[in-house]
Amino acid sequence: MPAADAHTIHTLYVDHHGWLQGWLRRRLGNAADAADLAHETFLRLIASRDALIGLQEPRAYLTTTARHLLIDRSRRQVIEQAYLAELALLAETLPHYPSPAEIMAAVEALSQITRALDNVPPRAREAFLRHYLEQQTQADIARALGVSKRMVQKYLAQALLCCHLHCPALAEHGL
Amino acid sequence: MTGADPILEQAAAWIVRLGDDDPAERAEAERDFVRWKAADPRHAAAAARIDGLLGRVRALSGPATARPALAALAAAAKPRAARPLAAGAALLLLLCLPVWAALSLWPPAYLLADLRTGTGQWESRELADGTRITLSANSAVNLHYDATSRRLELVSGDILVDVAKDAARPFLVDTAHGRIRALGTRFTVDRRDGETVVEMLDSSTSITARGQPAGEAPLTITAGQSARITAAGVTRGAPVDPASLADAWTRHQLVVSDRPLAEVLDELSRHRPGRILYDRDQIAGLRVSAVLPLDDTDRALRLLRSSFPALRLRTLTPYLVLVDAPP
Repeated sequence: MPAADAHTIHTLYVDHHGWLQGWLRRRLGNAADAADLAHETFLRLIASRDALIGLQEPRAYLTTTARHLLIDRSRRQVIEQAYLAELALLAETLPHYPSPAEIMAAVEALSQITRALDNVPPRAREAFLRHYLEQQTQADIARALGVSKRMVQKYLAQALLCCHLHCPALAEHGL
Repeated sequence: MTGADPILEQAAAWIVRLGDDDPAERAEAERDFVRWKAADPRHAAAAARIDGLLGRVRALSGPATARPALAALAAAAKPRAARPLAAGAALLLLLCLPVWAALSLWPPAYLLADLRTGTGQWESRELADGTRITLSANSAVNLHYDATSRRLELVSGDILVDVAKDAARPFLVDTAHGRIRALGTRFTVDRRDGETVVEMLDSSTSITARGQPAGEAPLTITAGQSARITAAGVTRGAPVDPASLADAWTRHQLVVSDRPLAEVLDELSRHRPGRILYDRDQIAGLRVSAVLPLDDTDRALRLLRSSFPALRLRTLTPYLVLVDAPP
């Protein structure tokens, strides 16, 4: 990280960290969660340092980022609940119940996939989940969606690309 | 996708092709993919990124986790993306609803029939051979006349036929349940849900059920008698009074003797716009004998209530009447 950026972030942190944490505490009603999220917000800021160039309204930027994190967090809770609920339903038929670490990894991956799929058009999203998650063949998906296999391949490529563009973290984790 | 890195676009297309279910195409894709990767180090890097992303998804695809994963993704799917779809579906439903309602009220066979009447309509028609036919409300018939026979198909509803004599061409009425062969005569045919009821005013008819074994003699009924045709066969019904029956058809009355209330309400429904809703189980035990005016179904309903004090009628709108019998 160039020195100028490090300096900018340091200044931002010093100037606004306390304020952001207070803002989050009022929203969450919980000091520990607020501290965690404030920390995460700054991490996000560092990760996307391009956004810092010419930052005019640092507090507006911080709250926007924090808001996104809040939404992610609630979605993550939704994901975790739905995942665990379905897992509990399947519990008796599973050869082995996943360990807490496996569940955590799955929930983490799922929240990234969710974010990545947000920008994928519905049909492409469906083709993507059927193929890569449910392991249906491209021919089966073509039949189910009433399109040609060539079209299914287009959907899949579109979904892959879209996921990559909107959630690079998903790709980086995998490497 | 516009604005995307063309190398990434190609990499995505390759990876999709590697998942082709046709082994020959897959083998070809694999060969070409190796060549494409070797052509430029950026190609291999892009492919590795896409593949890495997929690895994360594939890790969830096992039998144990695919279902919970799908459930979680469905729960967390952005409502914004789903809403236009849901709105579209709702709109489609809204557009289809009148068609569905129309088709359930008037099945295609009714709509395509040669002669038909709507709710509350009566129609009398003299056919080419001089036969007179009267259709009660919501009735439909198809006519099949040729040199050897006169066949009338009762698609739905209730008709009165006054057959003109024609020794050369027998007159037949067909319903889903059986065939009525007229021997120069006046009678009514009422096609209900599971049965067809024939009532004789004059002379006689011979009746066969659709599923009746060949060789079994048809049942002949004469004036003042009735018959029911069901899938099981033809049985004799209660006697009828030809004079009051004829009267009822001229005056548009419903003459019922000892019929379940639900059936009577169904008959009344055919003569009024809107619907009469009732709880079949609750009124199951009630049977009706009455003469009810079909041109004034409100009065008919009031008459019914007067013979069944337990019956409760609630007119929610002129088009929706609820009938029940609170215990």
